[in-house]
Amino acid sequence: MNTTKGSFSSLFSLEDVCFVIEGKVILSKINVAIDTSGITGIIGPSGSGKSTFLRLLNKLISPTQGIVKFKGSDIADMKSQELRKEIGMVLQRPFLFKGTVKSNLLYGPKIWNIDYLDSELVKLLDTVSLEADFLERDIEGLSGGEQQRVSLARSLANQPIVLLLDEPTTALDIVSEEIIENTLKQLASEGIKIIIVTHSLEQTKRLTEQLLFLKEGLMIEKTTSKDFFERYNDQEIHSFFKNKEGK
Amino acid sequence: MVPQFLIDIWDSLSQTSIWIRIGLAFILLVVLIGLSFWQKTKLESKFFWSFLRGTIQVVLFGSILGLIFGVRKIWMLYLILFFMCLFAGFTNARSYPYPRMFLIGFFAITSSSLVIMTLVMFSYVVPGFDGIIPNETGTIAGLTGEYVIPIGSMVISFAMRVSGIAVERAKSDIIKSKGSIEAALALGDSPYRAIQNILRDCYRAGLTPTINRVASLGIVTIPGLMAGMIIGGIPPVEAAIYQIVIFLMLLSASFITSIITNILFTRQFFTEKQQFDINFLNKIAKMENQTTRTLLKERWKKWREKIKRKKNSVETTE
Repeated sequence: MNTTKGSFSSLFSLEDVCFVIEGKVILSKINVAIDTSGITGIIGPSGSGKSTFLRLLNKLISPTQGIVKFKGSDIADMKSQELRKEIGMVLQRPFLFKGTVKSNLLYGPKIWNIDYLDSELVKLLDTVSLEADFLERDIEGLSGGEQQRVSLARSLANQPIVLLLDEPTTALDIVSEEIIENTLKQLASEGIKIIIVTHSLEQTKRLTEQLLFLKEGLMIEKTTSKDFFERYNDQEIHSFFKNKEGK
Repeated sequence: MVPQFLIDIWDSLSQTSIWIRIGLAFILLVVLIGLSFWQKTKLESKFFWSFLRGTIQVVLFGSILGLIFGVRKIWMLYLILFFMCLFAGFTNARSYPYPRMFLIGFFAITSSSLVIMTLVMFSYVVPGFDGIIPNETGTIAGLTGEYVIPIGSMVISFAMRVSGIAVERAKSDIIKSKGSIEAALALGDSPYRAIQNILRDCYRAGLTPTINRVASLGIVTIPGLMAGMIIGGIPPVEAAIYQIVIFLMLLSASFITSIITNILFTRQFFTEKQQFDINFLNKIAKMENQTTRTLLKERWKKWREKIKRKKNSVETTE
């Protein structure tokens, strides 16, 4: 396989990054730069370190070794909270806080003293294709897809410049998946940088412009999505996705 | 010469009636162990050893109670209370053998109990107290072990119990809500604020039983202290007010203890970089399914191995 293709100005760069937990190597000697344009996908078989990789970018974890840089500065020297305001994150499950949709949307802005009018919150809901009447609804009554969309809107309420998504559509139906994908495309076109971990090759094809391929903690390839799917046929790609256990 | 309290213990144990009572208590203990075994609570050995330990302690304590009750020097009263706190910290750490639990429990129990007890000792709550200036012998009129130690024991034991509940609740809630906490951190929240709801629930869980007891005072709960005072000839109103003050002290000590315990204990879950401390989290999660005995055994084994390694390295250098 080829390694890095194309030249981009770097949003993130990882230098010799390793992540080891209880003696188990999760990521090993990762050297990669992530550019500032389009949606970047992180793909790889289960247990390849994709989620760990994503968590390193907003300092939810720190590398055991190596440096992670954001816009050229080592994130180890940055204040975690301020970094996380700029780099929003949507987890695999929505993890909404008890209360209404509104209280969830205002959770981040309250920390950062960002004022929101109700009309602005409605606009935020519109971004994720939710009606205005959702604002006062209790999160208990929402479907999985609606919850995940609220979770996405909650991250956007912080006005981040980068959005990290960890398999956000895994537990969702096709309709909700499509809505979220369209929202992400819209956000990317508005200039928000998006990095998404996904296990779905179809989603990778539909959404991403660049992709990073991880396997067993190693960075196997960084290329454009177009190049990846042109170079390899389905059978080859599926063989890449088999991990040690053949799963 | 054999001390008087040992002679007293021997005299009591040589009576047949005491052995009948011990036998009856033992039957109840067997029933408890049986119930525990039936419900698979794994508390059998804990029941046995704590009752054995408690019995020995209370017999010994009862026998030297006369000496302790007679203590009049303030520094000695503080010293006795301090030892009680030390022992409470130790008992807490045995029941909840999480990292730094002894220091956390000991510090929380000691600081809250001693603050409350100082207020008690110098605030006309103690019945015989009639002045805050110590005389030349270091004693204060009316301030004796007879009044201070029983109140201290109540405050310390409540603080100990609440500290344990606080830690256990905080631990399981943090593990259970890991995702939500991480979601809050990802939005830029601080770990302390991210676990505010959990801490609030811990305080409620720790304090609710005492609040309920206060609410049911006189109807469901007839406090032993108040009953004893009335039997001893103190007017009921005075005894009742004294009892209410005691409950307020217990609640204050419990609240302060759970705040200190929770702040110190939950800090360990996070790193300075406002992340979950994965190593600590894994360690605690593993402990979830282990009994105290296995944990202590493991620690003992590790400690012995450490000593062995040290010994070997000393021998090699020699």
